[in-house]
Amino acid sequence: MKASASERRAEITLRLSEFEFPPMQDVLLVGKRAPIGPEAARRMVDALSPEQYEVLPLDHAVLEAAVIRKNLLRMVPAEKLLPFLLEEGGKIAHESAIVKAQVTVTVEATRTVEL
Amino acid sequence: MSASVADIMCREVITVGPLESVARAEGLMRAHRIGGLPVLEDGRLVGIITSRDVRASHPNRLVTDAMTRNPVVVSPQLSLWEAKEVLEKNRIERLPVVEGGRLVGIVTKAALYAELGKYWDALTGLSKSEYLLERARCFLLQGREIAVLFFDLDDFGRVNKLYGHAVGDEVIRQTGGLLQALMPPEAGLCRYGGDEFAAVLGATLDQARELGLRAVARVEEAEWPLGIRISLSVGIVGGRRAAARPDGNWRFGVKELLNLASLACTRAKRQKSRIAVADTLQLVRG
Repeated sequence: MKASASERRAEITLRLSEFEFPPMQDVLLVGKRAPIGPEAARRMVDALSPEQYEVLPLDHAVLEAAVIRKNLLRMVPAEKLLPFLLEEGGKIAHESAIVKAQVTVTVEATRTVEL
Repeated sequence: MSASVADIMCREVITVGPLESVARAEGLMRAHRIGGLPVLEDGRLVGIITSRDVRASHPNRLVTDAMTRNPVVVSPQLSLWEAKEVLEKNRIERLPVVEGGRLVGIVTKAALYAELGKYWDALTGLSKSEYLLERARCFLLQGREIAVLFFDLDDFGRVNKLYGHAVGDEVIRQTGGLLQALMPPEAGLCRYGGDEFAAVLGATLDQARELGLRAVARVEEAEWPLGIRISLSVGIVGGRRAAARPDGNWRFGVKELLNLASLACTRAKRQKSRIAVADTLQLVRG
């Protein structure tokens, strides 16, 4: 009985999408032993999106700093936003990680006026 | 005699830039077998990165994200003793040396201790006379009155001849300990040589005399090897600081005080009075 000839094939899948500048969204949480430190992150965002991000040093077990879009901080002050970010981000972050976070803030306001 | 940081600092300093990688810094340290690198940006010292920082950081990080910012620096004119205090107070291993805002050298703890070891007496654990001069200089720079005490064991040659040098060494070691225990924290006590000790105090003549009397009493009350009796004579000088300019003459002036205290001590021995105060004072002249 003859052996059948072997065949090798490759399937190529291509997915294109727009590259974001900078390659992050609203927040980066930088681990203490991450390959990119806060100063490198600051220089990156300053080069690609000047004056749009702020680097806040953190007093945290595994995270060293948070890089946050300034627009977010105008809507929610850092002292309100950071505890939430650290509580949730801290659950998945570790010393070597850089965690990217997308934050959506919706402000609702109602006012009663006399008719 | 080396007495300042400039005399022992390494002048060819290997440095690294803040935007270089931690891996590059680690490579430089390994290649040159050194434990730390000053970080320079546009010629200005902005930090220091050590092997400990390297171990705690990812190799891909920028040096600026791993270094210690605002490092403790010293001037080349700082004395070795002051440099030692700076190192120990800050618990660090190396001191960048800066003059006119520029890095001119680096001093390591190992180099500093090796040099200071030359001024250290192994038998008593006390310093040698250079330390006394340094403490005197510090007091004078602070504008403080100084007094010098010169201590000499009485008839010490007899101890060595009758009981041997091992017993003699133990007497000297014990005397150093007794005197050290009496000294105020800032005092500069040294083993001057043989069975002679000297101290400088930032104190008045009366305070120095009181300390001298206590030293004499303490030595006479102490228990000595083989039950032998030991006594001490003290010469004292000071109390009329005439000038305090650190212009080079201070060293001569303090040595002159030391000499007067030594002569007073000889007089105390001759008169068997145990303690004598130098009555002719040729004090520090600016």
